[in-house]
Amino acid sequence: MSNEIWVVADLTIDKQIRKATFEALTVARTNLDGTVCGVLLGTGVQGLASELGNYGAEKVYVVENEVLGDYSPEGYSLALSELIQKHEPAVVLAPNTTQGQDYIPRTAARVGAGLVLDATDLSMTDDKRLVAKRYMYSGKSIATVEFQDHKPMMVTIRPNVFKPSEDSKTPEIVNESVALSADNLWGKVVEVKRQESTRPELTEADRIVSGGRGMASAENFPLIFNLADTIGAGVGASRAAVDAGYVPYEMQVGQTGKVVAPSLYIAVGISGSVQHFAGMGTSKVIVAINKDPDAPIFSKCDYGIVGDLFDVIPVLTEEFKKLLAEG
Amino acid sequence: MKIIVIVRQTPDTEAKIKVSADGHSIETEGIKWIVNPYDEFAIEEAIRIKEKFGGEVVLITMGPPRCLESLRTGLAMGADRAIHIQDEGFASAGPYTIAKVIAEEIKKEGEYDLIITGKKMIDEETAQVGIHVAEDLGIPHAAIVTKVDIADDQKSARAQKEVEGGQIIVDLPLPALLTCERGINEPRYASLPGIMKAKKKPLKMVGPDDIDAAALGLSPEALSGGGARYSITHLEVPEIKRQLHIISGKEVPEAVTELVTALRDEAKVI
Repeated sequence: MSNEIWVVADLTIDKQIRKATFEALTVARTNLDGTVCGVLLGTGVQGLASELGNYGAEKVYVVENEVLGDYSPEGYSLALSELIQKHEPAVVLAPNTTQGQDYIPRTAARVGAGLVLDATDLSMTDDKRLVAKRYMYSGKSIATVEFQDHKPMMVTIRPNVFKPSEDSKTPEIVNESVALSADNLWGKVVEVKRQESTRPELTEADRIVSGGRGMASAENFPLIFNLADTIGAGVGASRAAVDAGYVPYEMQVGQTGKVVAPSLYIAVGISGSVQHFAGMGTSKVIVAINKDPDAPIFSKCDYGIVGDLFDVIPVLTEEFKKLLAEG
Repeated sequence: MKIIVIVRQTPDTEAKIKVSADGHSIETEGIKWIVNPYDEFAIEEAIRIKEKFGGEVVLITMGPPRCLESLRTGLAMGADRAIHIQDEGFASAGPYTIAKVIAEEIKKEGEYDLIITGKKMIDEETAQVGIHVAEDLGIPHAAIVTKVDIADDQKSARAQKEVEGGQIIVDLPLPALLTCERGINEPRYASLPGIMKAKKKPLKMVGPDDIDAAALGLSPEALSGGGARYSITHLEVPEIKRQLHIISGKEVPEAVTELVTALRDEAKVI
């Protein structure tokens, strides 16, 4: 039984470490008591260990196995489970990305660990049991969850909540092998579809502009795209806009859509339902543009303009362009 | 094909959340309960697969007596029978407990082809029961699925999973478990004939005495409030104070200038 706090790296398809991993390392280092270690699973990932060291990892477990070359829930959960059973860390953290949501529950089940998903805060009791905070009830409430004394304690961390900060260490590299072969893989990846976009992905975007029912048609959405592009924002939508067919469901923000936490969220033609707020209510600054002065969003935003979005958005786009050009 | 759907009940999202006197749970008085929206996608998908290939759709839930309503809704939509693991105490059972108990109950079903459930609960926002069940049953899973096609020979499923910036399509051998994401389908409304037929469909009741908690590695407390592995010690409904700086009655250029200035100088987000 060790006092180690593991942060399992989340890698993109291009084998880059997702920023959310550095956020998790930061919170482990600043909020928890124990030796912070990184975990890398894959092929050709050894070289990434120093990046984890930059954010405070004192040790990095590297598991190189052909079967882990492409992400799979069974590969990752089998490898991580074996590693956990061998080294008995106190805590295992991972970012709450689609991968984290996929293999971490499987791992927790396999090793019989308690798991709290999508934590927005972490701390420890005096006797080193993990305490996590997370949203419940469509973002309306915050729950404090305390782990019982059973290890490992596993948590996934909501991306974009903690600001990553560096604390350069040269980590001790521990190469581990796991008993994993191609026979362990059930799923066969048939196709990887990538939405070609230079815009930031919604769950990682620091700024988001979303369009709602007020946009009136798919043909009007370029207004939103142009506004977003002036400030390097991601683009989202309300459920109403998705249901009306203006935009695809991947863009939906809300209770049955994506949960986002940007510094700036601009809601255009969105009434501001409870369900929409479940997906963006913790944004740092919320701006609303809507022609209905009674829209619920006007009682839940920081700044708003009551006006016709078709008049306001082009002018706002120009103003942002000017502002950003000034530098 | 035999398709099992793990269904759960949640409060209607319009419900105002009030923390109960114990400080770590919600007031359930007067709450309207609905089928967890993500599980509704699962029921719909199961019925569509049954309509295409024949077979049966079995619903399973673990919770207090009121959960029967969710099972009836699913049966009215077109599921064939339901299993209710029922006890008032199960209202506060956590995902670890629920997964273990449901997996054990599913084992009693013998052979099955597919298990489908929603990707997460909209009340407690937990998203692990389905995947935990898959691990306990030793079957493959695909999570956050927006499209599924069963192969003609019914031995595999092609699932489209949502990931950051795109989708990954995988083939899984059956039996397997899928968790549904928004976009997979539009659930049907139960028809009146469906609602009438539902009343006669088989319903199996499983009580706490039918569960061998120790064999599942669960303490007796784990089956209710006590929780397995962790417990909710505090629940609060925070007031996020918003600026509420609403600009109205001004000409567009003036309004926009006021907004942009505030965003730059006050909020400092631009």
